[in-house]
Amino acid sequence: MSLVNFTTREITCKIVYYGPGRSGKTTNLHYIYGRVPETRRGRMVSLATQTDRTLFFDFLPIDLGQISGFTTRFQLYTVPGQVYYNATRRLVLQGSDGVVFVGDSQARQLDENIESLQNLQSNLLEHGVDVRGVPLVMQYNKQDLPRELILTPAELDDALNFRGVPSFAADALHGQGVFETLKSISELVLKKLAAGATA
Amino acid sequence: MSAALDLITRVRGVRGAMLVSADDGLVVEEQLMEGIKGPAVAALASSLAGRLRRAMQAGGLGAGVFWHLQAEQGALLVVPAPGEGGIIVVAVAEPDVNIGLVRLELLRAAEAVG
Amino acid sequence: MSTRAVETWTLQPLTDFVKESSVRLVLVLTPAGQVLAQSGFSRAVDVMSSAALAAAIVASTDELARQLKQPPFAALNHQGLKQAIFLSTLSTERGTLAVLAVYDLDVSSIGLVQLFFEQLAADLKAATPRGTVPKQVLAAHFERDLTDSLNTLFGR
Repeated sequence: MSLVNFTTREITCKIVYYGPGRSGKTTNLHYIYGRVPETRRGRMVSLATQTDRTLFFDFLPIDLGQISGFTTRFQLYTVPGQVYYNATRRLVLQGSDGVVFVGDSQARQLDENIESLQNLQSNLLEHGVDVRGVPLVMQYNKQDLPRELILTPAELDDALNFRGVPSFAADALHGQGVFETLKSISELVLKKLAAGATA
Repeated sequence: MSAALDLITRVRGVRGAMLVSADDGLVVEEQLMEGIKGPAVAALASSLAGRLRRAMQAGGLGAGVFWHLQAEQGALLVVPAPGEGGIIVVAVAEPDVNIGLVRLELLRAAEAVG
Repeated sequence: MSTRAVETWTLQPLTDFVKESSVRLVLVLTPAGQVLAQSGFSRAVDVMSSAALAAAIVASTDELARQLKQPPFAALNHQGLKQAIFLSTLSTERGTLAVLAVYDLDVSSIGLVQLFFEQLAADLKAATPRGTVPKQVLAAHFERDLTDSLNTLFGR
């Protein structure tokens, strides 16, 4: 849950990058880490296995500066994608303000994408949250792979994007789509915050 | 260890005695009357013992062997046990307790646990 | 030492705790890792990393306790060579909060930290504001600010 303080005019939001194993969630954070000036980001914390697979989460705090007169900070988290890490995945999801679903565009990974999306839904439900009320953005990663191996963004939209949320084709390793995805989820999260504040 | 405390609490006017881990500020063993907050006394006395030790070192006085704090309604008496164990022996007493006797028993207890 | 609170009602209890227990760093956070108050940190982003890790420890030990069918663990203390960390939770009207404290072993002790943590828990409980949080409108043009800010961040 976002923390808004009207006295000190600070907003802190938690955004979770979700998706199946090896879809590129950590790569998204690495790219962001590499591009954001040091003064505007914290250390990237990675709780990973010896083979660099995410064990608990990766974490990157970024300082967006002043937005509408509020000092705005985002906490970016990834979850471990592998199926058997569900308990930790659920813990990281707790209190999230927005979710980026990082899908793997490879055709043979479609089932994993669907399974992970269903898993997102059930984990949110365990926290008493309806996935339909959570700001969500889809990112179809690895679009740089040979065409015969991957599904197009339109095909992935058909298979995964039932809610018709914003979706982005990406090549997170080289940064394509990373910025657009972050911008989109940031907008959705802050829009929801603004709507909540006026309610 | 509880035998060491028996020696102290047998003295008339002593309301409680404790062995406290000086580094952690935690109670190792206690014999306390109702109303004495053992964990609080242990934490604060060990903190005080640390400060006093440093003050004595700074003053070139060597290691402290006994200290006695007189309050309106009683006294706090402490003897650090010898050796590497880092134990301090603490007594909480009535205002009119025989300080010399308590000191003697504290030193004996410290010797026994040191 | 700088003590700062996002939620101002936490400031006095935290200031007292720091003074009494002589801890070096403290964080008061929600179980989701959001910081309510801190003392001793210099950069907001470093505070957030520590909070994320502290929240993760709280969450994972709670989950372990659940799997062991035990009530949640009361506190955790890790002692290093020169410093130690203490992590515990407390409950307020605003829900459960976690407190992470880092202390120097030659200045403070687990006994002292535990003792004043109990006081902090009671003080925070007493200071929690009753009723709903006041809300205020976020300016409608925030999207332009956001775009500008992200453009700057990404050097575009």
